[in-house]
Amino acid sequence: MLTIEEVKTRLKNKYQSAVKKFEQPYGTRLYADIDKSKVREISNEIIGMGGRYLVSVGYDNIARDKTLGLIHAFSLDRDDIFVCLRTAAPVDNPTFDSITPDIPNAGWSEREYMDLLGMKFSGHPKPKRLILADDWPEGVYPLRKEVPWNLMPPPAENVAYQLDEAPEGCTTIPVGPFHPTLHEPAHFAVYVDGETIKGCDYRGFMVHRGLEKLCQTQLTYNEIPFVAERICGICGSVHATSYSQAVEMAAGFRISRRAEFIRTIMLEIERVHSHLLWLGVAGHLIGFDTIFMQAWRVREAIMWFGEKLTGNRKTYGMIVVGGVRRDISPELKDELLGILKTIEKELVTIHKAIVGDSSIHRRTKGVGRITTDETRLWSLVGPVARARGVDIDTRRDHPYAAYDEMRFDVPVVDSCDVWGTVVVRILETFEAIKIIRQALDTMPAGPTMTEFAEDIKPYQHAITAVEAPRGEVVHYLISGEENRPERWRVRAPTYPNLQGVPAMLLGDQFADLPIIIGSIDPCFSCTDRVVKVDIRSGRISNLTGGELETISRAKKLAGR
Amino acid sequence: MWLTSKIKQVLLVLRPGVVTLKYPFEPHPVAKNFRGHPSWDHHKCVGCGGCAAHCPARTIMIRDVCQDLRVMLYDGSRCTYCGRCADVCPEDAITMTEQFELATNDRNDITVSMELFMLTCQRCGRCYNMETTNMIDKMGLRGFRYDNLEARAVIPTATEHFDEKMLEESDRYQRPQK
Repeated sequence: MLTIEEVKTRLKNKYQSAVKKFEQPYGTRLYADIDKSKVREISNEIIGMGGRYLVSVGYDNIARDKTLGLIHAFSLDRDDIFVCLRTAAPVDNPTFDSITPDIPNAGWSEREYMDLLGMKFSGHPKPKRLILADDWPEGVYPLRKEVPWNLMPPPAENVAYQLDEAPEGCTTIPVGPFHPTLHEPAHFAVYVDGETIKGCDYRGFMVHRGLEKLCQTQLTYNEIPFVAERICGICGSVHATSYSQAVEMAAGFRISRRAEFIRTIMLEIERVHSHLLWLGVAGHLIGFDTIFMQAWRVREAIMWFGEKLTGNRKTYGMIVVGGVRRDISPELKDELLGILKTIEKELVTIHKAIVGDSSIHRRTKGVGRITTDETRLWSLVGPVARARGVDIDTRRDHPYAAYDEMRFDVPVVDSCDVWGTVVVRILETFEAIKIIRQALDTMPAGPTMTEFAEDIKPYQHAITAVEAPRGEVVHYLISGEENRPERWRVRAPTYPNLQGVPAMLLGDQFADLPIIIGSIDPCFSCTDRVVKVDIRSGRISNLTGGELETISRAKKLAGR
Repeated sequence: MWLTSKIKQVLLVLRPGVVTLKYPFEPHPVAKNFRGHPSWDHHKCVGCGGCAAHCPARTIMIRDVCQDLRVMLYDGSRCTYCGRCADVCPEDAITMTEQFELATNDRNDITVSMELFMLTCQRCGRCYNMETTNMIDKMGLRGFRYDNLEARAVIPTATEHFDEKMLEESDRYQRPQK
């Protein structure tokens, strides 16, 4: 076990003047201002201490000291510490050392800031466009403060993303941007040799909605939870909770204990329904629609309860900064307990019916295999990691809301394949039911909303992580003036997990592609949340090039 | 193993039988407290604009056509039914109804417009000051508002005194073009 003081002394002793300042506004968060030239070394040092890379946050600090700021956030899971390495580079030469060669998961974050803030990363192995549309003009960096939030540059002709070279002797099969196996737009170019997958390139971010920019410029603190909730249709409360906690942390403010308990219950309700949903979808993807129908039938009860409790079937709108909007009455509590009992019983039946089914085993065992070490290297999260022997769970490692009082197990299997994910998710559903029962039993009385007596001080940093059904959600917030955040960075669980998909696909059969991609429960809209809106979808240029574009554009115009 | 699993699966399917609802041929009532289409009670509304200031989707627009006449317009085509407007309304003039069958090909069907005769506070020029204790819920735009109702656009400026120039300017509002 490391304490925060030990981390500080270790960094201080080894890097001395390269570590300029420590800030520790909250017990378990350490912010270290470090020298730009030592970013890579210190990052590796943190990884060496048992750290896990979470996310990088880039922000525009031009107005104050003419720099672009960059933060690498890490989690020391065993020690309940978040370490954020803050550094900055002058805006006329914003070059940083890339940490991607050592921490492959940072690849996307860094590419994101190449696109959005115009940073440069020396030594990045794949400095391609990630987020912006292919026809977005060069030199316009939408996350910089000078770019207006509603800027719409004109579309350009004949620009397309250059896919990676296919390995020799391989054929490229395009999957997407619209494809029956993908429920949202994303483009996988899969390189196959016969039926075996030899590689994969991903071009996503087609449903980029510019939420972060929108919220940083247009909305106020307490409007953002509703937008945050709409980042994801399945795990909305997760984002709202994570955002709200970040604001509360930046303000140095505690909400009432009852509100924390209700948040916990909402999160677990969401987990129950999400796991059942995923189980159904996974069944559907391997052509086993019995599970699909039955899992969704069982799930329906909790959806209706959600509607009763919150007023809506999904996008509950329960969680705002300062607490929750509705209380759980004793009648609702009894009803919830009843529903949980039925769900538990039914889920046991489903579990028994599929656990020994050899046809499911054949489709999922040994599929999407990566080793535990690779999983760690790629910093995968959630059930995907837990199915591959990595014992992490934010609820236990960094307790938030009322999880510090809850007793639950974290199921971990080491089968390292899709079957493991199925098992983990089913077992987690039982754990979630256990947690809801405990929370309902021990919930203290009190108000549901706590009011802020003072304004939130600007430029306070806060990082929070919440365990979503699909993995871990990280929100980084820098508070700002005018009652709205200066910078708000969301990292959804699909963001790291999707980066691990090429590794999972390697050497598998092409027919297993849907279930492997499905096994991470991809949520492309979650992943694609940042900056500007305009990405037209007709451009599959490696199929029919300009022709298709002309056709789709003609159709689009004809439709007007 | 395979056969026993299949038998269990058959039982799993047979036991609950058919659960399909006959909706829309049979009505499917929603839960109490459901957040459906919001409805405004023009008798209660004082035109404070709290709902407009707190609407995350910016579906509620306010246009002061003159010192005494305020037009409030709710455009349901963009509404996310979060119910925040009903929460913050100091007069309880907004209720979330149980209506959810709102599909339409004309957005005027789900648009509500109210014209309110206003008295102006001599001191501050506004009426809404409910949440002074909660600093995070400060009202964004105070005073006179000039949203463009035709373009359904929120103009993010407000003035303390009624300003005809602003009114004209907002008339010419154009959405950003490509």
